Amino acid sequence: MFLLFLIDIFRMAVKVLTERKTRAILTIAGIALGPFALVMISSVIDGYGDYIVSQVQGLGQNTIVVFPSGNNKLTENDLNNIRSIPGVKRAEPFYSIQGQVKVGTETKIVFIYAIPPDLVFESISGLELEKGSIPSETEYLKAIIGHKIAYTDDGSVAYDLGDVLTITYLKSVNGRNEVKRVSVVVNGVVKEFGGAFVLSPDLTIILPLEAGQRLLGLSDWSGIYILAENSNVVQDIVREIQSRYRGVVDVVSFQSIANVINSVVGAVNFISFAASLSSFAVAVAGVASTMITSVIERTREIGVLKALGFRDREVLIMILAESIIMSIIGGVIGITLGMIGSHILASTGVTIRAGPQAEIVIKAPPKITVFGILRATILTLMVGIAGGVFPAYRASKIPPAVALRYE
Amino acid sequence: MLRRHGVYMRREVVVLEDIVKIYRSGSVETPALRGISLKIYEGEFIAIMGPSGSGKTTLLNIMGLLDKPTSGRVYIDGIEVSKLNSGEIARIRNYKIGFVFQSFNLINRLTVLENIEIPLIPRGIPRPKRIQMATNALIRAAGDPSWLPKKPNQLSGGQQQRVAIARAIVGEPPILLADEPTGNLDMASSRIVVKTFQELNKTGSTIVVITHNPEVANCTEKIYVLRDGRLIGEVSPDPSKCILNM
Repeated sequence: MFLLFLIDIFRMAVKVLTERKTRAILTIAGIALGPFALVMISSVIDGYGDYIVSQVQGLGQNTIVVFPSGNNKLTENDLNNIRSIPGVKRAEPFYSIQGQVKVGTETKIVFIYAIPPDLVFESISGLELEKGSIPSETEYLKAIIGHKIAYTDDGSVAYDLGDVLTITYLKSVNGRNEVKRVSVVVNGVVKEFGGAFVLSPDLTIILPLEAGQRLLGLSDWSGIYILAENSNVVQDIVREIQSRYRGVVDVVSFQSIANVINSVVGAVNFISFAASLSSFAVAVAGVASTMITSVIERTREIGVLKALGFRDREVLIMILAESIIMSIIGGVIGITLGMIGSHILASTGVTIRAGPQAEIVIKAPPKITVFGILRATILTLMVGIAGGVFPAYRASKIPPAVALRYE
Repeated sequence: MLRRHGVYMRREVVVLEDIVKIYRSGSVETPALRGISLKIYEGEFIAIMGPSGSGKTTLLNIMGLLDKPTSGRVYIDGIEVSKLNSGEIARIRNYKIGFVFQSFNLINRLTVLENIEIPLIPRGIPRPKRIQMATNALIRAAGDPSWLPKKPNQLSGGQQQRVAIARAIVGEPPILLADEPTGNLDMASSRIVVKTFQELNKTGSTIVVITHNPEVANCTEKIYVLRDGRLIGEVSPDPSKCILNM
């Protein structure tokens, strides 16, 4: 019986709204802005966030890198010390520098690592050889090169297996920077890795560890590369190293980078959520003013309904139904447009510039979740209820005799 | 009257006991009704007359449970209403009382049918049944069901008032209260409305009409005269001065 009444009430409410079309449409447009902005922005942020995190995690969830901080140096003792930490599967030193390589007609900035190459392939699961093989420890002139070094941007081969590749890099000698050139032989080419954050395998040259000293002339390790037994012990190992080497080293794990990114994304998302709340608040005011006007205009009609036997509660539901219907329509429109808008916004991508040539373009699909839709839906419904409840309550309490006298 | 009710006990559909109504505005008190006692029996057709400001509408509002008296008791169909809450009072209005207003008070955005249906909605009656009841009510009040899909503003004043009467009787309440029902109508339309009331009365409706038009009052069975918030007398109508016989 109550359901039957509700159906009638909603039918009457729809008639009221269609009678004042312009006003209803404007109010609905105001309501739709909130869910539109919320769904669009938060799903794009979540999409980017997920993309970045998955990129970072793709670099090895079990990987930890220790860098010496300040003027400290890492030694054989430190390596053995780290190898003794429970949970550490492998730990190897590495040398790293930045250099330039000519690829076709273009000069690209590349990252050069001298490190046992099999460790890199073991720790980064997505990394595979397209052709060639991993050089042995002693073949320190043989290199594995990234996809964007082996191929020019238009896809033609720049360096094939057996080709000689010249690396130009800066080396500081007695406090002065000297330009150095070394040549290596291409022994393997890595499959395209794509995207990549923090470090980019496609623009990397991997050499055997010995190349660091013998070829590049580096005297000190750049750091120690650690592979944990599994991702669960990564945090423990990080903590252990930090407690043993307080202030002497910096410890970085891709897992903790991912955690940081996650919390940054969470914070950005919360800020955008809070900002979009203001558009919901404005919508409440819009609904309230529309409903107050509507109720005042219909004071006499409300008096008639009461005279004919509508209870206060029934009048309240009837007025509230109008604002709820508007919020449902506004919510559907806003969420739909928000979903469309998020695809448009996400497809433009975001460019992060780390230097003149280090540009990372993030392009990720928006992450539209049930939670996001539900949150926007509930908030929009609350706009309808919050905006309608006061006018509805006021209407329901008008004494019928007074309402009937209203002109 | 006796010809219709014979020796049967007549049911009291409205009983007012010593009704006082004082309007307060700040510290100013304006008495509108100063102690009115009145019994209206089932099947009666009554007019309440009086000059403007005599308290006619206030009296009708109290009888119709649209307003509460300052003191005194109101019984509707045997139920004492002063202790009821607003929801219960709304239910009694819905089941026991039909209203006809001077300005019709139809809702122009709804069709004639939907207007007549309104009192049935809080009762939770399903739509098909409501349509049937509304159609019957309009046939009784106007004889012409072709108005049902129209909007009220497509009808003349007299027609609108008959739609309002149909709305008042659709729930078959025992009492019909009409506040100046011909006040906005021309002579011809007034005749039709009065005739409609007479016919409804013949089929058993109890009708109370407030009017300051003697040509309408003289068509009823009993006239109460109200002045300065008091009932000052009861007059027998003169049918020869009824609007229908002129």
